[in-house]
Amino acid sequence: MTTRAEDFPALRERLRAQCDAIVAQYEQPRSALLPLIHLFQQHEGYASPEAIRAVAERLNLTPAVVESTVSFYTLFFRRPVGKYVLQVCRGLACTINGAEDIMAYFREKLGIGHLQTTPDGIFSYEEVECLAACDRATCMQVNLDFVYDLTPQMIDELIAAMRAGTYAVAPMPQTEIPGPTWTVRQDSQVSMGEKSAGAQDQLNPNNAGGLDKDGVIMLDRIILQEGRFKGRTKERLANVEPAIVNILENGASH
Amino acid sequence: MPVVKVLTEGIGEANLRDMHVYRQRGGYKQFERALTAMKPADVLDAADKSGLRGRGGAGFPTGKKWSFLPSNDRPRYLVCNCDEAEPGTFKDHMLLEEAPHLVLEGILLGTYGIGSHHAYMYIRGEFKRGYEIFMQTVEQARQAGFIGKNLFGTGYDIEVTVHRGAGAYICGEETALLNSLEGKRGEPRLKPPFPAVAGLYGMPTVVNNVETLAYLVPILEKGPEWFAAAGTERSKGYKVISISGHVKKPGNYEVPLGIPVRELIEIAGGLRDGRTLMAIQPGGGSSACIFEEHLDLPYDYESLAKAGTMLGSGAMVVMDDTTDFVKAAFNLVRFFAHESCGQCTPCREGGHWLETVLHRFVDGRALHSDIDMLRKVGHQITGINLCPLGDSIEPFLLSVLNRFPEQFEARVVKEAALPA
Repeated sequence: MTTRAEDFPALRERLRAQCDAIVAQYEQPRSALLPLIHLFQQHEGYASPEAIRAVAERLNLTPAVVESTVSFYTLFFRRPVGKYVLQVCRGLACTINGAEDIMAYFREKLGIGHLQTTPDGIFSYEEVECLAACDRATCMQVNLDFVYDLTPQMIDELIAAMRAGTYAVAPMPQTEIPGPTWTVRQDSQVSMGEKSAGAQDQLNPNNAGGLDKDGVIMLDRIILQEGRFKGRTKERLANVEPAIVNILENGASH
Repeated sequence: MPVVKVLTEGIGEANLRDMHVYRQRGGYKQFERALTAMKPADVLDAADKSGLRGRGGAGFPTGKKWSFLPSNDRPRYLVCNCDEAEPGTFKDHMLLEEAPHLVLEGILLGTYGIGSHHAYMYIRGEFKRGYEIFMQTVEQARQAGFIGKNLFGTGYDIEVTVHRGAGAYICGEETALLNSLEGKRGEPRLKPPFPAVAGLYGMPTVVNNVETLAYLVPILEKGPEWFAAAGTERSKGYKVISISGHVKKPGNYEVPLGIPVRELIEIAGGLRDGRTLMAIQPGGGSSACIFEEHLDLPYDYESLAKAGTMLGSGAMVVMDDTTDFVKAAFNLVRFFAHESCGQCTPCREGGHWLETVLHRFVDGRALHSDIDMLRKVGHQITGINLCPLGDSIEPFLLSVLNRFPEQFEARVVKEAALPA
């Protein structure tokens, strides 16, 4: 079995003609950014780092620019997702027509919450903003396919069908095992309720001098900086975090 | 009942996605006539005379918008805005999926009307089915010779590119949409320059809503006078109204502008039995509520503006006495906080803080001072942002806070329960 990353060059080669056709539709190549990411996501199940790099190369942009753009849009997944992405509408019209009960039912049935994926990798669940189907509230999308007028019974049926692999909508391609969530913001350690190891003993982990799990990031910056910045930061540090200045002075390893 | 069938003609009866069906019903005749027998200026003139105003939310006169294009030789573009995401609005969704050829003909007419050779169709990322349908529509039209070079032997070329978004409400704002179309983050631009002067790729550009462009077809067919005869003095013509919430028959209903709000609710089947009306949000998530005493208000741009709200995208959410207005306000504020692009501090931070404060109300742990806090923060967000998103956060909250203060006060922690 090869990994997704190993398969990527072949995929990229296979999609080359299609990519060129997309780029040719626009008067400026950068316009093809969204469609190209859509294309790769359609094949890989998410906007992978390799895809971002490939699109950057194709459009003559830096990967950071592509990443920044991709991160703006909620339909681009930054991490692998489940086979079925269930996006339940939490808009006003759905909410006043019972969406809260529907969402509670989903959470209970799936055992996961907003922006999470089940451990078996089958379901990803998200509560999304108005899906423009308010006349048929409450509604949802399964892999962007609409399901209208939801009832608990329908939910039971569709979850069972997805588990059995008989659901009418095609599953997302799954080239990697998904983690507990697919958004970068949610899977950062701080928002998962875990402070990074280094910051645990600090009073103000967000101040200059905050420590990261892998090393003393802010401290490194201070050490590497020359001149006035160093002096001023050190002065400020001496007031708020004398312990860090101590490490800095005594060269304690990190 | 004053319900009319103009754009909605044939929807639900015939398969309008089929090119043959659409042409049998007179489809693409207006486009052919425009190209072979009319100058672009004649199309603009018809749009202007009809009094058609932008159906996306701002209500700007379409003919006037087109006339702002400078007369130079630079390439110019028409962009059709199908990034429908205003809470409560679902008319473009229907038109895209059920009458795609009508939409395309409208786009082609608009493109010719502004003298452009390239049209872009921006479709909301969530409308995957709509996107697939529209791609087929464009392909059918290309094969029938309505898109491409030298159309009808006139030497006029029109190219249409369909672009799919990827989930961002803010891309419905025209300059954010242009950025998104250019492959950038969907952040609104500073205006001026307006898109008419420097839009897509810095070229003169017109961005029109799906419904606006679709109305060009019947306007050319039946004449601008026919369209202008409907509606009111300044809000002319017809409009598709999306009615949802606590009504018996929610749906899209096409009516002449200016009919009383009461009648619109009756068209949608009226309230559920045994319920009383509490509030109506008349123009999408950005609009302030109107109440029982406004039921005889004519549903048009001016009357709603005078009542302190707006017609917006024509999305009416009806709420009866089962509605929890604290939760409703939290819902919409959370929406705007979630969809803020983050460029302007008042919108980014204010929306977030309003959401946080409202969350305390929803949980029943708000302080009495939080009621003033809601007003203060709401007031401070409004009117100082690049785009209208920031200004959309306050209206609904303020209108329900003024109307139902008891619902908010009921969620305040009793003083006795507070630690001394």
